Amino acid sequence: MASLVMTCREAVQKFVHDGDTIAIGGFTTNRKPYALIREIIRQGKKDLYLESSGAGGETDLLIGAGRVRLIVNAYLSDGAFNKIGRRFRMAIEGGEIEFEDFSLDVQPLRFHAAALGLPFIPVRHLLLGSDLEAKWGIARERYELDPKLPPAKFLIRENPFTPGENLVYLPAPKIDLALIHVQKASPDGTARIEGPEFIDPDIAMAARKVIVSCEELVDPEELRREPWNNQIPCLIPSAVVHLPYGAHPSQCVNYYDYDPELFYLYDRSCRSNDTYQGFLSEYIYSLPDHQGYIEKISPERLHGLKVGEKNYLENLSRGNGV
Amino acid sequence: MTVLAKKMPAGEFTRKELMVVALARQVSDGMVCIAGTGLPLVGVTLAKLTHAPNSIIISETGIIDGRLEHLPTGVSDTRFAYRASVWWPRYRYCGFLMKMPDKIDLGFLGGAQIDPYGNLNSTCIGDYYRPKARFTGSGGANGIATNLNTVIIMQHEKRRFVEKVDYLTSPGWLGGPEGRRKAGLPENKGPVAVITTLGVMRFHPRTGRMYLGEYYQGVTPQEVIDHTGFSIDVSEAVEMEQPEASAIQLLRQKIDRDRIYI
Repeated sequence: MASLVMTCREAVQKFVHDGDTIAIGGFTTNRKPYALIREIIRQGKKDLYLESSGAGGETDLLIGAGRVRLIVNAYLSDGAFNKIGRRFRMAIEGGEIEFEDFSLDVQPLRFHAAALGLPFIPVRHLLLGSDLEAKWGIARERYELDPKLPPAKFLIRENPFTPGENLVYLPAPKIDLALIHVQKASPDGTARIEGPEFIDPDIAMAARKVIVSCEELVDPEELRREPWNNQIPCLIPSAVVHLPYGAHPSQCVNYYDYDPELFYLYDRSCRSNDTYQGFLSEYIYSLPDHQGYIEKISPERLHGLKVGEKNYLENLSRGNGV
Repeated sequence: MTVLAKKMPAGEFTRKELMVVALARQVSDGMVCIAGTGLPLVGVTLAKLTHAPNSIIISETGIIDGRLEHLPTGVSDTRFAYRASVWWPRYRYCGFLMKMPDKIDLGFLGGAQIDPYGNLNSTCIGDYYRPKARFTGSGGANGIATNLNTVIIMQHEKRRFVEKVDYLTSPGWLGGPEGRRKAGLPENKGPVAVITTLGVMRFHPRTGRMYLGEYYQGVTPQEVIDHTGFSIDVSEAVEMEQPEASAIQLLRQKIDRDRIYI
């Protein structure tokens, strides 16, 4: 089987296009494909649409770097490190991006529908009575006219099998590209997520193209010994990129804990445009690639985040005083 | 809460600690609770380590019954899942919430604004399309408020307790007892308590409106009226029982020893 392995630069050049609708795996501070995001920013990709659920600093970075045109959002936070993505917040307050609001229940269901090839998924009760129902972030006409968007935010229709009962019909998103960081992948595209899957297998199946980055690039035979532990089959990815610490500063189960120091540094840098541009320059633009990033953060410090049996560091300093 | 438990003298604990204790008291033994990080998780953890050892914590990321030893900084932190029963893919949690809401006793929510019926705003201040301040958005709150009984945590300020929220993220009792039925929501679920920096508010079953149930020592019902932007009934209010010294000690020395939240 042909190898899908390429460098981060090649994968992003080849499979990320201006205007793409992107779905990002992981959840807030866990297994986020940060290295892929940093390369997308480095290469100047822009006008992106994001189908987002459980977004964190990686999405805030894309917005802050001015690469996002529209975000379908449910949540954007780095938890206690950065409670509300500051650049997301500023972009909406400044009228710089288009946005739509859903909840963390609706978005995974929409991704699941898309992964099953369904045009929509009907649900009971969700959104009703709230402004998620009453106020559409994206205007109805915009939904109808932009082929990149689903035909509507949702429709309320009677259940055809139970007359009298209304259901909320959620159209499946149209996803061009999924970005997923996994623990192990092999050159044939087989990928294994160790730890929580979140939405990742669904967005992999929903997207037209998938870039998988991995902590370890392993022989296919290693993953094929236990195929039931693999979530993404060899047929799906477009590219496999070997990026150890590719989820830094977020957590990666069986590999490393999150890096509070970097999250707080990012949070502080967000407060003025000067410091923010400084952060982007120091941690993205001035570095040639992910190897440059690892050297910048320092291999020793990254090694210090390595987890053991508990899958987190008991004595990691996490207070706000860092 | 036995009468013998040593009560903490006033002035020796913070308002945040008091809120956590009030929150923990909403959880009785064996309850199944959805709690995000922050004070709700600290409160449910306190309940679990004291009077409600068999209570179960669920995270909206699909973690069921973590046995937390270290406070997580977010709902996807592996600390939330330590020795958990399961960490589901996200859609499984959504299915569980929609299909088996009766298996879950309480959901904990927070917000920037609340109205007399417990309708909650965690999306924005000002116009939705060009807000003065924008927040994370719903997170898992909308689905929780739709399907479950909820306990809400709020800073008690006039600008937050408002007649009408700027954006209704999570439905409470909507416009009163008929509100949820009319909107097509489950009628028998909704907000049961609001834990604030001044006390514990509850909802009249007949009107769906908020009233003052308990106020903290050192707070007066008049103070609650003064800090509420709508008329609030305080006629049934009583002073909340002081926290147990052991609870405060647990909070400081074990549960949040890194002082992440309290």
